[in-house]
Amino acid sequence: MTCIATFFSHFGAIRFKKLCQNRLWPAVVMPVPRNLSSSCGTCVRYEGDALCPAAEIPEEVEQIVEITDQGYVCRYRASDS
Amino acid sequence: MKLKNEKLAIILAGLAIGVIAVLLVLFGNPTNMGFCIACFLRDTAGGLKLHTAAVVQYVRPEIIGLVLGSFLMACLKKEWAPKGGSAPLTRFILGFFVMVGCLAFLGCPFRMILRLAGGDLNALFGLLGFVGGILAGVFFLNKGYSLKRTYRQPRLEGMAFPIVQVVILVILVFFSSLLAFSESGPGSKHAPVLISLAAGLIVGALAQRTRLCMVGGIRDAVLFRESKLLLGFIAIFVAALAGNLILNAATDTTFFKLGFESQPISHSAQLWNVLGMALAGFGCTLLGGCPLRQLILAGEGNTDSAIAVLGLIAGAAFSHNFGLAGAADSVVDGVYKVGGPGANGKVAVIAGLVIVTVIACVNTFGKKEEV
Repeated sequence: MTCIATFFSHFGAIRFKKLCQNRLWPAVVMPVPRNLSSSCGTCVRYEGDALCPAAEIPEEVEQIVEITDQGYVCRYRASDS
Repeated sequence: MKLKNEKLAIILAGLAIGVIAVLLVLFGNPTNMGFCIACFLRDTAGGLKLHTAAVVQYVRPEIIGLVLGSFLMACLKKEWAPKGGSAPLTRFILGFFVMVGCLAFLGCPFRMILRLAGGDLNALFGLLGFVGGILAGVFFLNKGYSLKRTYRQPRLEGMAFPIVQVVILVILVFFSSLLAFSESGPGSKHAPVLISLAAGLIVGALAQRTRLCMVGGIRDAVLFRESKLLLGFIAIFVAALAGNLILNAATDTTFFKLGFESQPISHSAQLWNVLGMALAGFGCTLLGGCPLRQLILAGEGNTDSAIAVLGLIAGAAFSHNFGLAGAADSVVDGVYKVGGPGANGKVAVIAGLVIVTVIACVNTFGKKEEV
């Protein structure tokens, strides 16, 4: 699956990318696409066989969407965000 | 929206905003100040009698329009979302010192571009400092800087800032005797209220759609080699430059004058142009956006950005009550006098750089020890 994760901080994205790299998942840090959010933060676009490269989704993750033929499908959203 | 379309949208928005900025000067705003978020918040602070500098007192409808334009567009696109709770007091302090830096330079990043488009080469020194400040901010971002997460807020909390703008607009239109109005100086120069308000609404809506940000443009170019936001920046410059050159030729008013000396509401104390905008760029990067972007986010329901704007307003009030703001170059008895910030302003800029650096360090390296 190809996903985009958005974060509460830029450094959260850098750490997440390292988690992806540890599992040999292709991942790139980039600005959040406009059609995903009106916020201008940092996101990670990655490909993997699970939603998250870690056992638990890190608390810095705001949202994870899967990129499908129908567009973005929200797979995770942090509570109260 | 695909990346290519996003780029086209931001270029078109930038061109439109550049033209609007020049037209606002034609309709009465000060030269090279079609838009200046720092100057307009300062004027608004003066209009609300938060400071006593008689030459910069006018409630600028552009500010009201920017917030409400963003609010309406965000509602229309179902993007309005009340959120906040990410280190509000720290954001207030950062906003405060961003304003101190901007007023030492005499303009926000937006006006820096408009000053360049009017031929004011002093703004090149501001740009140099601004880029340096952003690079300092990016260094801390990459080292782990964070003001921690935001949380969903009650609807009224997110609505409060746009509602305050409506109240200020009602006072401006129907109860203007409550406000202060400059009779001379930059505060006395303004386009008619309706034109200013309409300009603010349009630019607010465009900036909400495109996420236009003077800091974000350079930050993203450095962090991701991504030029999208930077293109908006460049488009504003190109449109304003073209507009200034056309109006310079077509009217008796000077819209474009290339050089360093006698530029409108500008000084050539270059060290303080550099340091003022370095402080602004550094602080804005830690805030996550330039003063324009803070207004737009506040309109979208982000209460942290609303707090940052309140910090900007407090910074403006302090700057003029305590003599921190820069003075424009002037000619006294036939002698050219270089302006810039006085002793108080210089101390404030240095103190601001130190305090913003401390905030950056504490929220970067301090957090690692907490984990």
